[in-house]
Amino acid sequence: MAKNLLNRFLSRFVEIKPGEEVIASLLFLYFFLIMFPYGIIKPVRDARYLIELESIKLPFAYLSTAIIMGFVIHFYSKLQVGVKRRVLIISSLIFFTVTCFLSRQLFMREELGLIPLGFWIWANIFVVVLVTQFWILVNDVFNPREVKRLIGFFGSGGLLGGILGGVLTGYLGRDIPDELLLIAGGILIIGIFVANYIFIWQRKNKPTTDNPNSLNKERTKGQAKAGFIDCFNTVRKNYYLRLLAVVVTLTFIVATFIDYQSKTVIDMSVKRIDEYTYIFGFFHAGLYVVPFLISIFMTSNLIKSYGIRIVLLLFPLILFLCFGGIAFWPIIPFALAIKASDKSLSFSLNQYVRELLYIPVSPEVKYKAKVFIDMFLNRFAKGIGALMLLAFIFLPPDPWQNRVQIVSIIAVVFIVAWVFANLKVSKEYTNTVKQKLEVKWDRGDKVVAEKMDVDYTKLVFDTIESRDRSSVLYAMHLYDLIKQDKLTPEVRKLISYKADERKVSSLGGLFESGETTLVPETDDMLDEGVLEKEVQEIMSLDVYQEVMKGYVDKVLIDKTDETETSKMEVAKAIGLMESESPLAQRLEELLEDESPEVSKYAIESAARLKRREHVPGLIYKLHNPLTREDASAALEKYGERIVGTLSDYLGDYDEDVGLRQEVASVLARIPIQDSADLLAWELAEDNEDMENELIDALDRIRSGEPDIQVQEEVIKTKILKEIKRYYQVLIKFYDAKSKVKKPKMSEKLSEDMAASMMNIFKLLGLIYSHEDIFKAYQNIRTATKDSIDYAVELLDNILPKEIRDAVFPLIEDLPLEERVKRCRILMKAFPKI
Amino acid sequence: MEINTREKTDVIIFDIEGEIRRSDITDITLHQLVKDQLDAGKRNILLNFQNVDFIDSFGVGEILASYISTHNLGGKLKIAKISKKLYLVFQVTMLTKVLEIFDEEEIALDSFNKDQ
Repeated sequence: MAKNLLNRFLSRFVEIKPGEEVIASLLFLYFFLIMFPYGIIKPVRDARYLIELESIKLPFAYLSTAIIMGFVIHFYSKLQVGVKRRVLIISSLIFFTVTCFLSRQLFMREELGLIPLGFWIWANIFVVVLVTQFWILVNDVFNPREVKRLIGFFGSGGLLGGILGGVLTGYLGRDIPDELLLIAGGILIIGIFVANYIFIWQRKNKPTTDNPNSLNKERTKGQAKAGFIDCFNTVRKNYYLRLLAVVVTLTFIVATFIDYQSKTVIDMSVKRIDEYTYIFGFFHAGLYVVPFLISIFMTSNLIKSYGIRIVLLLFPLILFLCFGGIAFWPIIPFALAIKASDKSLSFSLNQYVRELLYIPVSPEVKYKAKVFIDMFLNRFAKGIGALMLLAFIFLPPDPWQNRVQIVSIIAVVFIVAWVFANLKVSKEYTNTVKQKLEVKWDRGDKVVAEKMDVDYTKLVFDTIESRDRSSVLYAMHLYDLIKQDKLTPEVRKLISYKADERKVSSLGGLFESGETTLVPETDDMLDEGVLEKEVQEIMSLDVYQEVMKGYVDKVLIDKTDETETSKMEVAKAIGLMESESPLAQRLEELLEDESPEVSKYAIESAARLKRREHVPGLIYKLHNPLTREDASAALEKYGERIVGTLSDYLGDYDEDVGLRQEVASVLARIPIQDSADLLAWELAEDNEDMENELIDALDRIRSGEPDIQVQEEVIKTKILKEIKRYYQVLIKFYDAKSKVKKPKMSEKLSEDMAASMMNIFKLLGLIYSHEDIFKAYQNIRTATKDSIDYAVELLDNILPKEIRDAVFPLIEDLPLEERVKRCRILMKAFPKI
Repeated sequence: MEINTREKTDVIIFDIEGEIRRSDITDITLHQLVKDQLDAGKRNILLNFQNVDFIDSFGVGEILASYISTHNLGGKLKIAKISKKLYLVFQVTMLTKVLEIFDEEEIALDSFNKDQ
């Protein structure tokens, strides 16, 4: 989609995608139109209260607000149950517009009494309700990843409103302090129209999964309404939300202390109403400038570069230093610095990160939680702060510095608790994001290993197959089943089917007299324990070994196809003998036999005896697709003692590449640290023919044994190389796609990209949490848009910046043109590999 | 053994005829055929066993290797129209715990759609 003028303009300030510009601008404007009046209302509120009731009575204002806010939220949540979001928001705006005009009329009276207190409470309800509604609306329109990208832009709309409102109040406050409320009301009327237009826009842009600006089904469902008790219970029952509630509570208790201190300082030096309005107007406007600049220029970059955890700590740590300073030096500049830091960061970074903390919360829970936490709890926390401050009424009023100092010390204690709560919530944030993602599939080998016994399955099939081929093989398979305690009634029933059709074989003839013993009928009369013991005793007899040696010589000398069954019997029989049996040496010849059937039995026997001299023979059996799987399984049974031998083959460049690839797969079946080291070592050699197999082998090891470590430097280099390769293929794909005559080429490149993407994630899983990386990969590949966003969010939290910067253009939801453009830019900046 | 390949509603169907035995493999294995389809970007594989009389342990290995390769890429491998006798063997050997088996091809095809 070609970028329009508005998009090009907004792109200078914010990372905005085509199609987002109109709705993003509307939301910016809407927030501006809420905060502009508030920029007027707040200084009027502060000035009226301080001049009529004085700063000493501020705790009463905080406390009354907290109590009234409880009733308001109760009423509001009841309204939310029965009223549509659109009606609720528009009605709220109308209500605040009308009451704003009414307030101005009340201030015209001679005797104000408790009107300043009422106005104080009203102003708080105004900002809490309208701001919460605004963020809920943002969450309706954009998904969490989009919010994360655009939050600084939306926030700066509100801050710009705050600045202009403050400046206007600063200029006009001396002359017409109360008339300013008429201006505020007028701006709110415009806000009503803008909000209404946003809903019209929403309705026009019908929700589809492809439209990034639309509501999907889940989000629509998330609009489910909630009552106050339900909201409270939602938070109470969810550990993450409880932590979030603690963070908000501590934030607002500290904010109350800051507010109290700064107002105390100003109250000590200013006495006239117009002066108050003037000072507060400019002071607030000035305080909004810093967060505005932070919002529009720094927020996205700070969150992108340092992540939620660090940004969450920034605000309390700065306040900690300021409060620490004022506790020792209770001077006015410090008090103002605290207020400035508070306003700069609480309206920008802290506010945004708090919004972002709702990302892993499902929409239906989010709306309930926001009502309780953002509308009720933050005012309730101010009430708690106020209760603590009430104690200062009983302190002597002079010197006022003592009050500031004591508040600072208490605040420091709360800030320490706040820092811990932030650390806890940020840790839980990542866990909650992880929980949002399902594992779509496990590795196939893992599923097979967990759900069935492959050796047993093959033995049953061999038993059934041997029935028609050789009674001796059949008997030996039965014996095998008995030995492994696997001859269950079901298996007996299965294999005795058509048992009378068995053929007599040559080896059966050798033991003519004992055939009935060696080939038991599968009835209940068979004493399995006795049989097993007898067979073992017979096989260990010297005379048996001697007789068998002659027979084996005879069979092996005969090179005709007719002896194939006899060779299979011999190969099977050797596997049932002791490892030290002299006949075991003959297995080598059987391994080399041209018949894959004979080789198969020889391979199985070699796996049982585990004699080292058979290892090279087994490795060469990996060449042949007919014996490959059996040879691989046999080598796996040797375990770690043959890892060194396997590595010799792996690193032997004179060997066939196909064989070396299979050796890598065998090493993956022996999941120990040495195997991983050898595979990583080979991977570092940059042999392209081997790369896919080596990466897959390492992935298999890590998926089963996450504690095994793979050399980070080698893998990081490989990741960047693979990403670079992906970029190159993507650019080729884009170029080929634009040429209509090359559809085949784009098809091939598309397959290459899918393979490359998988390798990138397999490599990431080698050095970061394998489970997390694969959850993310699977959800990016197969899930809905929202799960893709959660997957990207998870990666955002677990990958370092250098990797994130390179990987994200490949996985983020971007139009192809935009993705290619970013890749081209990154290619130029890419380190030379 | 003879294997014919066709595609229906984004599912690759292998019509297998004969017995999947080690001794019957001439040039290319079932697993290799499946891998070729996976390399071509296909992810849904259906093995039509209507004309399969029997399989040996090599056949089991081939089916499981095909299942693993498909599954590792997030795909699905299923079996349709298996004989009652073979199904019984699959049950006893617990192959049915891993492999999804359907009586009819259409039902199997529908199940791929439901997985999406």
